[in-house]
Formats: sequence, C-alpha cells, structure tokens
Amino acid sequence: MAFAIRKKRTRELLLIWFFLAPSLLIFALYRIIPLLWNGVLSFEFWSPYKPAEFAGLYHYEEMILYDDVFWQSFWNTAVFMASAPIGILFALVIALLVDTPIRGRNVYRTIVFMSYPVMTVAVGIIWQWLYNEDVGLINYILRSLGMSGRGIPFLNSSTYALPAVIVASIWQVVGFYMIILLTGLQNIPQSLYEAASIDGASAWQRFKRITLPLLRPSIFLCFVIGIINSFTNFDLIYVMTDGGPSHATELLVTYIYRVAFKLGQFDYAAALTIVNFAFFVFLAWLANRLSGGEAGAVEST
Amino acid sequence: MTRYPKWAIHLGLAIICTLMLIPFYWVLKTSLTGENIFSYPPAILPENPHLFYYVDVWYSIPFFRYLVNSVVVSIIVVVGNVVLNAMAGYALTRDFTGKGSVIMLFLSCMMIPFQVTIIPAYLITKELGLLNSHLGMALPLCSTIVCIFVFKASFDAIPKSLIDAARIDGVPDWMIIFRIMVPLSQSAIATNIILAFIWSWNNFLWPLIIIRDNDMQTLPLGLARFLTVVEDTTGALYAFCIMVLVPGLMIFLLAQKQFIAGLTSGAAKG
Repeated sequence: MAFAIRKKRTRELLLIWFFLAPSLLIFALYRIIPLLWNGVLSFEFWSPYKPAEFAGLYHYEEMILYDDVFWQSFWNTAVFMASAPIGILFALVIALLVDTPIRGRNVYRTIVFMSYPVMTVAVGIIWQWLYNEDVGLINYILRSLGMSGRGIPFLNSSTYALPAVIVASIWQVVGFYMIILLTGLQNIPQSLYEAASIDGASAWQRFKRITLPLLRPSIFLCFVIGIINSFTNFDLIYVMTDGGPSHATELLVTYIYRVAFKLGQFDYAAALTIVNFAFFVFLAWLANRLSGGEAGAVEST
Repeated sequence: MTRYPKWAIHLGLAIICTLMLIPFYWVLKTSLTGENIFSYPPAILPENPHLFYYVDVWYSIPFFRYLVNSVVVSIIVVVGNVVLNAMAGYALTRDFTGKGSVIMLFLSCMMIPFQVTIIPAYLITKELGLLNSHLGMALPLCSTIVCIFVFKASFDAIPKSLIDAARIDGVPDWMIIFRIMVPLSQSAIATNIILAFIWSWNNFLWPLIIIRDNDMQTLPLGLARFLTVVEDTTGALYAFCIMVLVPGLMIFLLAQKQFIAGLTSGAAKG
C-alpha cells in the first residue's frame, strides 16, 4: 500500500517537472544563460572569428573613460525616463475624466487606449510623417499659426529630435498609463468620498487627501513602466531617427544593437549590456523602495 | 462627486480623443490621396481618394509573403503560449519540493528585459541552427511568465472540492485537466491568446537580429525595410502602414476586455 502511494507520488512529481520543463528550458535559453554569458563576454576579447582572451576590465574602462557615445546614450535614456511623469500626468487627467459617470466613457477609453497595442514600427512611420519638414501636419499647423516661418526638420535637428521622439512615445503609452490609473481609481472605496463630503471637504481637498495617496501604488507602477519603456524602446528610435542626428536620440538599447550587430563588437556590447542591466535593476529597485514596495499593490488585490 | 458640468467633460474628452486619433487619420488620408503627397499646403481631406497605393504595395513588395511569415510565427507563439503556460501554470498549483525556488526563478526572469539578452540569444540561436527560421523567431516568445501566472491564478480559483470529487470518482488526472480545468479557464486562455498574438505580431527587434533572408521577413521588418528603401517619397509606405495596422487593431477591438485584463494583471506582478 505504502509502496503504491509512493509510486503514485513519484509519477505525480514526474508529471509536474515534465510540465515545467519546456518553460524552464525557454527561460534558461533566452533569459538566464544570456545574462550570465553577457557577464562572461564582457571580461573577454572575443569575436565570432577569434578565440576568447581574458580582457579584465578593459571594456568597462574604455566605456566609462573614453566612449562619449555611451555617455550620450546614457543621458538620453535618462531624459527619456524623466519624461515619463509628463505622460503620467496626462494619463491621470484622462483617467479622472473617464472615471466620471458619463455616457460613452467606454468609447473614450477605447480610443485613448487604442494607440498602445499598435505595432511600434508603424507608430514610428506615422510620426515621422507628421514631423515631415515640408508637408508634415505639425509643421503645417505651426506655419499656419505663424509660429514658424519655415518647416522645422524636427527629426534632423539635434535640439528637437529627442523631444520629438519622446512625444511619439508618450502618445503610444499614455493609454496604458490611463488604464492602470483607472483601475486604481476604481479600487478607491466610494464611501471615503462620501464621508469626506459630509465633513465638508472641498473637491480639491478630497483629491489631495484621498485620491492621490490611495493612487500612489498605481502611479508608481506607471513610473516603473516608464522606466522599462526607456530601456526597451528600440523600435521607435530605429524607425524614426536610427539614433541620429549624430547620436542625439541614441538610447542604450539602440547603441548596444549598433555596437553588436552593425560594428560586430560583441564583447564590448556585452559590457554595455551589463552596465545597462545594472542601471535598470538599480532604478527598478529604487522605484520599488520609494513606493514602499507596493507598486501596483491595488491591482493585485 | 461631479464637479464639472457634463458638457465640459465631454468637450475635454472629445479634444483628447481627437488628438489621439489625428495621427491615424493623417496616415489614412495620405494613403488614400490621389494627389501628389508633397503638395503644400497639405489637404485636410483626401483629394480624389483612390486605392492606387494599396494595389501598388500588393504588387511592388512581397506583401503576401510577409503576411504569411507573420501569421506562421504568431501561430507558433500562440499555440506555444497556451500549451506551455497552461502546463507550467498547472504544475505551480501542485505542491512539490522546489516550488518556491521555481516561482522565485520565474519572478526574477521577469526582471530581465529581453533587450539585455540579445547578443547571447543571437549566438545561442545560431548554435541551434535557427537563424532565418520561423521557429527561431517564435521560440523566445513561446512561454511568458506573466501568462503562466494568469493560468495559475485561474486554476487556483477552481474549487478544490470539485477536483477532489472527480478524483474520488476515479477520474484520471489528464481527464480532470481536459474536462474540468481547461473549460473553466476560458478567460485565461483568451488572455493568453491575445497577449501572445499582439506581442508576436508587433515583435521587431528579435526578427531584425536573426533574419537575413528576404523571404523570411515578417510584416514589421518588411515595413521598416520598405521605409529605408523608399524613404518617405511615396504614399505606398502609408498604405503599407495601414495594411499592417488593421489586423492588430481588429483583434484588439474584438478582445479588448481580455487584453486589458491580461495587461493589468501582468503589469501588477511585474
């Protein structure tokens, strides 16, 4: 009898690991091994055509002391990230508006959200056309309003290119922020507002004392998504500017791609990746820390 | 709670929605226009609208070939996600030694953005001989942690008593899975299908790295490549853009609820 039970247990365990195996294999192949491999590669001189040689901190030294493009893309990534609050603020306004009990609010929500699931390559093409120097809609409006005499070549200007790309990125992601904030708003108990009203709190006070504090986890979640976005937004940059003009819109992720797959310096790109990842983990940790470890806490309830 | 009159809220939302829709409209207009797209001032409404550019796209590039590639990759990814994630999600509802470590491992994998793995992932795919192949494009996306947890939550929500009752009646495990757990997890399956489809449909960086062969390009690759070839000199580019957007948007509009539910649950845990 005991033997039969143990046998059944063994079979069950086999089944469990058999079920887990394919997923674990995929994550091992495409997440864990690559991360470790990057670490190893970053301390080596290596290319597909020559054997590996120990390089110590050579690549890191090169990057930090001599590589201006690395620093430029580092700052661009930081600027990209720092622009997230603008998008979140817009999203908050929209979320508050669509949270009111008005007709057609679902239609409004859908329209605002619709740009998020769209293919980013297409978003890039749409926006580079809007920014077109001669016949782009944006320049047309600026010229019609008399704000600018001639067309501004937004994407070819080292001043405007990064903000221009950021605007396109905010346009795409704002709907996602809105959905997160809206979920947060809907989880705030209505009774709190009623109690505050009875106590004579003004609308602004209710917003400041109830809505904002209780929305904090959702807002932090939006920040985390903004951070992730600034590290992963490859497609938009590639299509709109390809990192140009002269690296004005280069992000770490586009720079890594360029170094690895255009210049073929896999070892140096691996070192860039490690620094990029460390930066990312640090920021994610910081955001989580600042939010008191509760980013997105409302959603998970 | 209403502080502003309703018309003011409607007005505000109408302005926001217009801003959100203008980029779509502008591209649609350009793709339909019969006039020179470079005449100034640009027309607000399409002049002599016709479908010339759409026909042009169909014949001047292997659009159908790109579409087939995109569809094949998406099917592999969707099937992979539904099957593998359901299996892993089911395993995580059972008790076994090492379960805690497996969950920790999954959660930490979620912290590794795909973008930081591209170099070794490329080398690994090369070793596996999967460069320039549908499977190579699909494999990294075939199981997603977010979706494993979507399945786990859905399986956990099925009452234990129901499963125990079936066990006592001597129903074998595999039949419990297919007859009880799967039918009760339809919304988890829907979420998986939609998220997996959108991710794979829009995926760009990974195919860009591992596809060299013109015949293996997917739609986003074809679109980006078309942009580098013609730059922005022809309305065909924008017609192509619309042709690529429509399938994704249709699926999103049809399955909005599952899509949003999946995204918010995933984001919360990420």
